[in-house]
Amino acid sequence: MMPLLAAGSTALLHNALLVGAILFALGLVGILTRRNLIVMFLSAELMLQGISVSLVAWSRYHGDWGGHVLVIFVLTVAACEAAVALVFVLQAFSRTGRLDAAAWQALREATLPKAVDHALPASDAVPPRWPRLARAGVLPPADEDAALEREHV
Amino acid sequence: MQSLSPATLLVLVPLLPLAGAVLTLLLGRLLGSRAHLPAIAGIAAAAAVAVTLLLGTSNQVGSAHGPHAEPVRPVEMITTLWQWASVQDAYVPPEGSAAALPGTAVSGAGGAARAFTIPVALRLDPLTATLLAIITCIGLVVAVYSVGYMHHDPGYPRFFAVFSLFVFSMSMLVAASNFLVVYVFWEAVGACSYLLIGFWFTKPEAARAAKKAFLVNRVGDFGLAIATFLLWMTYGTLDFHDTLSPDGTILPGILGQTRLADAGGIVGGAVGTAICLCLLLAACGKSAQMPLHVWLPDAMEGPTPASALIHAATMVTAGIYLVARSAPLFMACPDALAAVSIVGATTALVAGLIATVQNDLKRVLAYSTISQLGYMFASLGTGTLLGFTAAIFHLVTHAFFKALLFLGAGSVMHSMGGVIDMRRFGGLRRIMPITAATFLVGSLALAGVAPFSGFFSKDEILATLHAKGWPNAHGEHHDAAPASHASLPLPLTPSASSLPRPPGEGRGEGAHTMRLASLTRSPVAAPAAVLDTPETFRVLFWMSLVTAGLTAFYTFRAVFMTFTGPTRVPEEAGHHAHESPPVMAVPLIILAVPSAIAGWWLFNSQWLAHFLTATPSFSAPAVTATAVPHAFHMDLAIQGSLAAAIGIVIAAIGHLGRRSDGPQMERFLGPLQTFFANRCYIDQLYAGLIVRPLEGLALVAALFDRFVIDGLVNSVARLPAALGGVVRRLQTGLLQRYALAGVMGVLAIVFVLAWRLRG
Repeated sequence: MMPLLAAGSTALLHNALLVGAILFALGLVGILTRRNLIVMFLSAELMLQGISVSLVAWSRYHGDWGGHVLVIFVLTVAACEAAVALVFVLQAFSRTGRLDAAAWQALREATLPKAVDHALPASDAVPPRWPRLARAGVLPPADEDAALEREHV
Repeated sequence: MQSLSPATLLVLVPLLPLAGAVLTLLLGRLLGSRAHLPAIAGIAAAAAVAVTLLLGTSNQVGSAHGPHAEPVRPVEMITTLWQWASVQDAYVPPEGSAAALPGTAVSGAGGAARAFTIPVALRLDPLTATLLAIITCIGLVVAVYSVGYMHHDPGYPRFFAVFSLFVFSMSMLVAASNFLVVYVFWEAVGACSYLLIGFWFTKPEAARAAKKAFLVNRVGDFGLAIATFLLWMTYGTLDFHDTLSPDGTILPGILGQTRLADAGGIVGGAVGTAICLCLLLAACGKSAQMPLHVWLPDAMEGPTPASALIHAATMVTAGIYLVARSAPLFMACPDALAAVSIVGATTALVAGLIATVQNDLKRVLAYSTISQLGYMFASLGTGTLLGFTAAIFHLVTHAFFKALLFLGAGSVMHSMGGVIDMRRFGGLRRIMPITAATFLVGSLALAGVAPFSGFFSKDEILATLHAKGWPNAHGEHHDAAPASHASLPLPLTPSASSLPRPPGEGRGEGAHTMRLASLTRSPVAAPAAVLDTPETFRVLFWMSLVTAGLTAFYTFRAVFMTFTGPTRVPEEAGHHAHESPPVMAVPLIILAVPSAIAGWWLFNSQWLAHFLTATPSFSAPAVTATAVPHAFHMDLAIQGSLAAAIGIVIAAIGHLGRRSDGPQMERFLGPLQTFFANRCYIDQLYAGLIVRPLEGLALVAALFDRFVIDGLVNSVARLPAALGGVVRRLQTGLLQRYALAGVMGVLAIVFVLAWRLRG
């Protein structure tokens, strides 16, 4: 029985590359436009997966396992990277209390002006309440309600 | 020590203190309060060796009481350690000027190119042996004294290292047999002097005094450098001694026996006078003669033992040594000789006048040193054998009693908690009897009171000045003009065996074929002397006599102010004003003995005078022609003693038994007192004429440097900063911008690649 899509099939390659390109482009747009660190991190993962799809597609097209090996490798590295990156994000969050990447713009050249958001996104009358992470090693405050929620992220 | 040759011993004299200095430098921290041991051991061994050499040389010269007709043969021994520099064919005597170049008197050398060689050669002759013994012996006594004086000083090892280094440098200076090597160690003793004056360098006055001494000495050193150049241009060698060239001919040294035997061997005239005046300038710098004397009084900021050894007994006599060593050069230039006397006598008088109103005990002694050095120069400048030997005689006795006085002053200073102003203490003879007694002995010697050593040496100097001023009174050929030297017989014949050979040269047949030729050239006619007249020396004699009175006055003024009257100690001394410890008192007693009797013994036995006659420089016919029989001039002794007595009596009237802080008799001098107290305004004059303009120039240079040079450099430095300012705008701190930049970069690369791969 012939496989549904045989190795060397141009159609499969085209489709797979298209999916990969779309994933990559989405990730790129996400990383360029979003300021939430976690979302930016997700976008980066998305780009990585887009590349992985392309690699798998080319690998299958050429009948070469090299691409597959590379993808497994990428997944491994991405997993490690995710662990490290989340630590950084967590640390960054506990420093500033915000996940906004612009919160770190103090690292800019001292003479340059601060970037200010001109049009803030319209907020609800009641700001959304987000769960708050308890800090390791710190006794949670007595007020449970206040401790679990915070004004904004 | 019998098994060691004189050459080895001669090398040991400088080497042992050098070893002591190096050991102290290396182990100083380790030894701590015992850091004096290597230095003292080295100097003590050197002193033993130097005394052995002195006795050995003395035996070689022979007794003074031998048959009178026998001329003293010059005694000279040269040890060449190594060739410092050697340049082949460096000197070509100009054609047609053979008469002006005495080096060509030796056949075989005329017209041929000669090598420039600087051998590091040590010489041993009576003058060197005497000075080596003085330097090392007094150095030893002062070093022992320093153990007590410098006790508990944080720079204890440093002091002894530099001290030992100084003894090394000074020994090399008097033992070197080459003008360039002399120049090297001339600088070396200056550097040691700088280090010791500025020993307490955290004290601004000390640092300033050290700088001043160094800079003023540079003026003199400039003279020595010019003199060295001129000597090279004139004589084609810088050696004192004769050397054998590889082809067996003698290369006559500047002060070698070949040249001295040649009546026209020394160049006179304008060049000779220029050489002599440059040497005199050098001597003025090192020996603190006018107009370069200003550094010595300030040098008293250094530790007192250093002042005693360097600024009283030895280093400042380097100028005397240089002029005495170059005596034959000066003999060819009577005007330069007279200039030596004039400078000396003037300095002696002016320094004596300034000393009379100083209130700082060490400064009184400093001006006294300048004054006594002036005496020695006045004596040298007479250009007679008696004048030269009297100067060295005075150098020897002065070394003893001035070292004694300085150590005594140091003892007072030590006990008074560092106070040296004579108005603030008095009557110390009850507290410090040993210091008082030995200081009195030194003062009697300095003042020239009859049985003490200074009397005899000063008397000889006065006698030699008197003989020049009143030539007929002394009869005989005392007024020998340089032109009359030509007819003298040649008592000197250099022997081949006494000449050093260049190292590594075979003793083949060539070594024995040297021959002398045309040693009887007619001398250059000496121009009529302008300064060298009896009238000049009459004035100088009276100046010296007045100085003798002044010397006695200021010396005893210091004695009376310090040691007599009601006992007073400054509060700095606290409750422990006491006699100095034995390690300081014993050197005082040791120095007091020669201060008291050395003059009488040396004068009576004529040992030193006879011994020095065998120095090659003093055995030139021009010098020996001026020899006079030894005599004690009663009339001059009475004049000198009278002057001293008047000085002491005036000092006694003013200060004996009075409170030292009371009104001083110098106030009767009126405006002159202010004039002398301000050191004749010479420092102010230099400040106005030299220092201020130089400082102005330095300010202009500093401003140029700060605004023009620095401006150029800074504008170059601002260029990268400006470029950076452009790129810096990219650093916004916004991650998205960075990511965008990255994406743009990747896109650019992709487009470039695509463009290049398009076809």
